[in-house]
Amino acid sequence: MTLKRWSLTESSAVQQRSRQEVDMAFLAPSSLRQLDPGYDEEKQKRKTNPKSCKLVCLGKRKKERVKAIQKIPKTMKEKRELRDHVLTEKTKARNRDAQINCCAQCFYNTALSFRQLKNGLSECFQFFHLWQKTLKVIGSQFGTSVCSYFVFLTWLLMFNIFSFLVNFSFITVPQLLEAKANNLSFTGLEFFTGAGYFTETVLYYGFYANGTISENKSSSPYNMQLAYIFTIGVYFVLCFLSLLYSMAKSFRRNFINPSMYSGNAAKLLCVWDFSVTSEKAVKLKQRNLSTQMKETLSEVNTEVLKLSVGQRIAKLSVHLAAWLVSLGAAVASCAGIYFFSTANLKLFLKDDQTELESEAVTLVLPVVVGLLNHMVPFFYSFLGFFEKFTYPKHQIYTSIGRNIILKISIIGILCYYWLNIVAASEVQCWETLVGQDIYRLIIAEFICCLLGSFFGEFARRIIGTKCCKQLGVPEFDIARNVLDLIYAQTLAWIGIFFSPLIPAIQILSFFIIFYVKKVSLMMNCQPPRKAWRAAQMNTLFIFFLFFPSFTGVLSVIAVIVWRMKPSETCGPFRGLETIFAAISGWIAILTTYSSSLWIVWIYHNLLESVHFFFILSVIVLIITYLYWQIIDGRKIMVKLLQEQIVNEGKDKMFLLKKLRALQATGLPDPGEQRERHSSVHQMPRQQMHSSLPNYIERSPRTMERDSYAEPSGLPETNGFTPRSSAVPRRTSFSPQSEMTSFSQAIPGNQHPGRTTGASEALALALRARQEAEWETDEEDFRS
Amino acid sequence: MDYKRDPGVTVPMQLIINMPELQENPFKERIVQSFSEDGEGNLSFNDFVDMFSVLSETAPRELKAIYAFKIYDFNSDNFICKSDLEQTLNKLTKEDLTEEEVMLVCEKVIDEADMDADGKLGFTDFENMISKAPDFLSTFHIRI
Repeated sequence: MTLKRWSLTESSAVQQRSRQEVDMAFLAPSSLRQLDPGYDEEKQKRKTNPKSCKLVCLGKRKKERVKAIQKIPKTMKEKRELRDHVLTEKTKARNRDAQINCCAQCFYNTALSFRQLKNGLSECFQFFHLWQKTLKVIGSQFGTSVCSYFVFLTWLLMFNIFSFLVNFSFITVPQLLEAKANNLSFTGLEFFTGAGYFTETVLYYGFYANGTISENKSSSPYNMQLAYIFTIGVYFVLCFLSLLYSMAKSFRRNFINPSMYSGNAAKLLCVWDFSVTSEKAVKLKQRNLSTQMKETLSEVNTEVLKLSVGQRIAKLSVHLAAWLVSLGAAVASCAGIYFFSTANLKLFLKDDQTELESEAVTLVLPVVVGLLNHMVPFFYSFLGFFEKFTYPKHQIYTSIGRNIILKISIIGILCYYWLNIVAASEVQCWETLVGQDIYRLIIAEFICCLLGSFFGEFARRIIGTKCCKQLGVPEFDIARNVLDLIYAQTLAWIGIFFSPLIPAIQILSFFIIFYVKKVSLMMNCQPPRKAWRAAQMNTLFIFFLFFPSFTGVLSVIAVIVWRMKPSETCGPFRGLETIFAAISGWIAILTTYSSSLWIVWIYHNLLESVHFFFILSVIVLIITYLYWQIIDGRKIMVKLLQEQIVNEGKDKMFLLKKLRALQATGLPDPGEQRERHSSVHQMPRQQMHSSLPNYIERSPRTMERDSYAEPSGLPETNGFTPRSSAVPRRTSFSPQSEMTSFSQAIPGNQHPGRTTGASEALALALRARQEAEWETDEEDFRS
Repeated sequence: MDYKRDPGVTVPMQLIINMPELQENPFKERIVQSFSEDGEGNLSFNDFVDMFSVLSETAPRELKAIYAFKIYDFNSDNFICKSDLEQTLNKLTKEDLTEEEVMLVCEKVIDEADMDADGKLGFTDFENMISKAPDFLSTFHIRI
């Protein structure tokens, strides 16, 4: 009874435990210390002199220090104090060495001011964070998964804004200074066809001059060829690095071995989306969760059906058939597009048409491509009704895979058509024609996207609520929309070479799509019911953006720059054999200048030589292989450690069971044995008192195991008298006489080596009994 | 009431859980309590900043894991025991499940995540479970 009364007061005290103590608990996993009276003094010491934390922080670079301080789970006030403390220590240390080199001092000062400038600028840019409020509203109603689509859209928009700024300032503006007069007439159709009036504007490759541009005689000339190639080249290199960095960061954060995924525990503890803040959405999510829990439970109750061989073969053949049909559809669409486009080109090149007719003819191909691009995915989802997947994530991955194959093959066939048919045809300026094609494709994709939103969401909602009530309100199809974005961005990237201002068109289209999708989402869709693994999906989409989308673009541009012959009559590279000849020509000029021989050296020995790239690839492969092996080793280590933890738990359970069994069979009470010993020998009893604590104290494994099993925070067993050493706690067991005498044992009394064999066995049995009693006391308390 | 000069000023829990960002969250009381100095839910300015900085997008994973653990630990005993899990489940599903179902789910969770077989989830078990669920970082996030 005393136990219960004490436990009640203790538990209320536990509830009101201050934050710092709990934080301390995380830093010190052994929860022994909390019930340790010496702990309070230790804690006080730690608060006023955080030396241990300081030791962590000192000696590192500032960024790592800041990160290390951020990770500490203390209050903000303490973190600030810690940071200031560390900073003063650092400045003191530096001031001591100040006299030694003042050069390093002023270098440090400039670095400091530069860092402060960077911080100030990044704070400034926070204000321009686009659509922060809109994203918050979307997230509050639909959760982070739907929000991730809009975040992806914003991120792609950044690429286009950067590209537009760079192209406009370095390529377009110089050209505008020397613009030729535009004699064509303007009809409204240009916005859709991109041809007509727009042909002779800065929008297309064909307009750009091939020589140098100079403002007046005295200023240095601006070489248009080099500007064109270098601007676009630098932009693509920066894009490449940025995509690689985002992909690596995403992989590091989010990618896990799919086999390691633990379903149920994470379903309970990691499932709640904290960014959902609207009442309706929260209620809906709660309802969905309870439905999911009930489903999971009912699956647990029924056995997982083992399919027979025949059933498995049937299932596999259904999957195979579905894949064949979808690949067949993709191939058919590509073939259709190819033949259609070649026929279209022939029609376009025929002379006996009016301008209007020929321009109208050019509109047919983009419309066909756009329709195919949006209809075939619907066909794929229709196929999905016939296939039965065991896991929903397999279904999502399959559908994403098929859609990506379709879209990339469409772009592939279009590139083939442009580079092999259009470039080789008798068209005057094939680059401008390709640029116009891409312009039309982007416009068509934009319009189809809007129409898809209208039919896929608005009309579907009307059908679902008015006519066919079973269907219900649609959900926002994140995968399909993201893949559409990736397709549009791929087209824009290819188009940058042929039409430097295409990013502007893309920016406009993304802006409008953002608002249309947002309105459609709010009006027509409901929050997603199934769990959408946003982190993994994001990683996957960034990966798809890099490969095959961006790498495909790079290879197309590489083919154009190195292999294709530019047109004779238009563009900045007219008359050259290949576009790359511009650079080799420039290098040839540079060899005559002695001051820039290093550039020539770099070009000849690093860029043109095969050996350099060969050696580079071998080095990269070696490093990749080494990292791969390190990862493998770490995986094995993780597995071993997990097994060790499980084994420790099993050991403990086994020993406890054994002890309980021994107890139940009725061993001679070790307490009585001890009493007999003590009554006979007065001195040895004292020694035994002291030797017993020593024995227990000395064995580290028991300490480790004891701390492991220690129920933290729960009030200790009856009659606990707080002591600074761990030992007396262990010694509380039911025979009251032993307890009191034992608790008076002087801690740390050093009488080593006085133990006899019998007392050792006695000690073992006593300890085992204590542990068993702990467990029973714990259970009693819990019940 | 100048919170900059007088750091002892605290805002009571009732006001904070009425914020639009927290109002509909089933764990709002626990969130505020985990960040308060006195464990009652009264936040000073520093605690308030702390709370939203941990719940922001760029907080380190370890920090988020520590505070998520605290939030789910209803009885503040540094372990997520079965009663904590039951309370979490009830808050998540608005007490829609029967007693039996609740018990089953909690047992399953403990079976799966408890590695050292002590019948409850310690912080290391929780962290291990989170490392297998990378969505946690993006869902444990309140936008302000």
